[in-house]
Amino acid sequence: MNLHYLGAELFHRPRRSLAAFLSMTLGVALLLSLQAYSNGYRLAARAPLAEIGADIAAQRQGKVPQAFEGILFPHSTAPIHSDEIDAMRRIPGVEDVGESVFFWDFEKSGFLVVLGLDPSSNTGPARLKSAVLQGRFLREGDRDFAVADATFGRSKNLSPGSKISVAGRPFELVGLVDTSRIGQVANANIYIMVDEARALAHAAKNVMAVHDFRPTDANIVFIKANQAKVESVAKAVGSVLGSQALISSSQTFRDVIGQAYGLVDRFSWLVGLAGLLIAVVGLVRSISSALRERRRDIGLMRAVGWSRGDVWTQLTGEAVSLAAAGSLAGLVLSVLVSRILSLLRVSIPVPWELSPTPHFLPGGATPMAVSISLSARIDLLPAALAIGLAVLCGLVVGLWISLRATRIRPAEVLRSE
Amino acid sequence: MNELLKCIDLCKSFGRLEVVRGVNLSLPERSFSAIMGRSGSGKTTLLHLISALEAPTSGSLYFAGEQISALNEDRLALWRRQHIGLVFQAFHLVATLSALENVAFPLYPMKLRPEERRELARARLEQVGLGHRLEHRPSRLSGGEQQRVAIARALINRPTLILADEPTGNLDKKNGEEILDLFKKLNEVGGVAVIVVTHDSEVAAVAKHSFTMVDGRLEEGST
Repeated sequence: MNLHYLGAELFHRPRRSLAAFLSMTLGVALLLSLQAYSNGYRLAARAPLAEIGADIAAQRQGKVPQAFEGILFPHSTAPIHSDEIDAMRRIPGVEDVGESVFFWDFEKSGFLVVLGLDPSSNTGPARLKSAVLQGRFLREGDRDFAVADATFGRSKNLSPGSKISVAGRPFELVGLVDTSRIGQVANANIYIMVDEARALAHAAKNVMAVHDFRPTDANIVFIKANQAKVESVAKAVGSVLGSQALISSSQTFRDVIGQAYGLVDRFSWLVGLAGLLIAVVGLVRSISSALRERRRDIGLMRAVGWSRGDVWTQLTGEAVSLAAAGSLAGLVLSVLVSRILSLLRVSIPVPWELSPTPHFLPGGATPMAVSISLSARIDLLPAALAIGLAVLCGLVVGLWISLRATRIRPAEVLRSE
Repeated sequence: MNELLKCIDLCKSFGRLEVVRGVNLSLPERSFSAIMGRSGSGKTTLLHLISALEAPTSGSLYFAGEQISALNEDRLALWRRQHIGLVFQAFHLVATLSALENVAFPLYPMKLRPEERRELARARLEQVGLGHRLEHRPSRLSGGEQQRVAIARALINRPTLILADEPTGNLDKKNGEEILDLFKKLNEVGGVAVIVVTHDSEVAAVAKHSFTMVDGRLEEGST
């Protein structure tokens, strides 16, 4: 293949080259941009749970409290027994399990949302250890210590060293944390050690009146799973918890994002490939018209001694070069489009059950949502696939055109009459 | 002199139409021949048979003792590249390439360094008096200049035989004469055999041998 001749043909026939180049550019850009958009939403759907280092939140629907006094479990946080948690740990694909005890505390002095957590865990609200604004976070072995949500703490004039009462038991505040760092999942006013939360719940008469809560139980379990198995793990966890299971995963968030995303997610490859197909049709039309324009040149090639292989290589090289250049430009364009898409913010609704607040309290029924930037990035694999596919299409088109070209009879096209 | 070209009972038909009928021709090396004839007499088809751009329906073609009509298409292309220079009435220059690149065009499939290729092409363009128009594209050259570029292209591989189809057909009288002088010089000084197909008796007058095509048959002498 002669690169100089190739360059001259592409450069000196700008309309034809530009048409083929632009159709490949737009085809590849459409394919990759749709992928980036779809990926962005997929990542966004993972965000609420990913912010607390989990892929799945497991809860169980239970009975509604009978009396709003002392410690209560919201009806979406019925007990999950320790044998059930052990069964979850054994599910293939489960990498880590974080246990929490979530409860409301109605006291004469006011209302509290309390969460018991294991500070040594990296899965679940213990991730708040990286969101300490003042003082310190809870540590293993702590007793009668608590940390407070910074907004709640400020509203109550709390600071490290302050005392706070949970179900009549005093706790010393050791730190203030920025709860917004873990999105809207399992938000609480006060965080205490999980064993102390268990003991308090087990001793609460309004809990025990409607639930069989044992001292080793939890009522929200956070699960980190192998990314390839998240959905199968979620299904298995649901089976462990039975018909009252409340399972949240990226899939459940995707379901609530809406139909528009669902369509994009389902059909992004299809629409993208259709775009690429249209681009290939553009390439075929452009190169076919070039073939008509260049019949004499091709006849001349054969007349002055080019073999059929030489003609094939030259014409295929031109088609492949156009496809490669167009697809690389498409990649650049799709990176620009993905940057623009990344300026969009996506609001992911968080179900009430994941961070329950009594409906009758101010703001208790307000729908919650996590607002995050759409992380629409171009992944290496789809980019390589799209460019590879475009170049392959260029190769096929080039070979087809070359085959037609070698059927041209030089004596016919070089006649002067 | 040795025999360069020999046609034995060469025939060509397109469907039922017999265009070339039993042509027998023998030409020595360094000869200058003209084939005359009216439009449609079959002279261009005969030239295409001699250059192996068309396969004969029957008959044989020998070049320097080798039977050319038995070679496959790619071998024929290689044979043309090594031995034949083709000049057309309509020049057939590649519009996107400069004069220099057009002359180098037959060399593109060969494994030559670009500088080497350019140097060979430059030498041929200088030989035809166009050393000052190397980088001009065909659209910026006159008809006479374009035909000179085409002749330089035909010479790039140092051919033994130049086949020219109405080489002055698109040129004015002055340019036509210059091109004929060039062919004469190539034949007499360069030792290249030339076959010119023409309907112009002034062109034929330059040749040492003249033939006439009448209804597909070749007759010696001009009419």
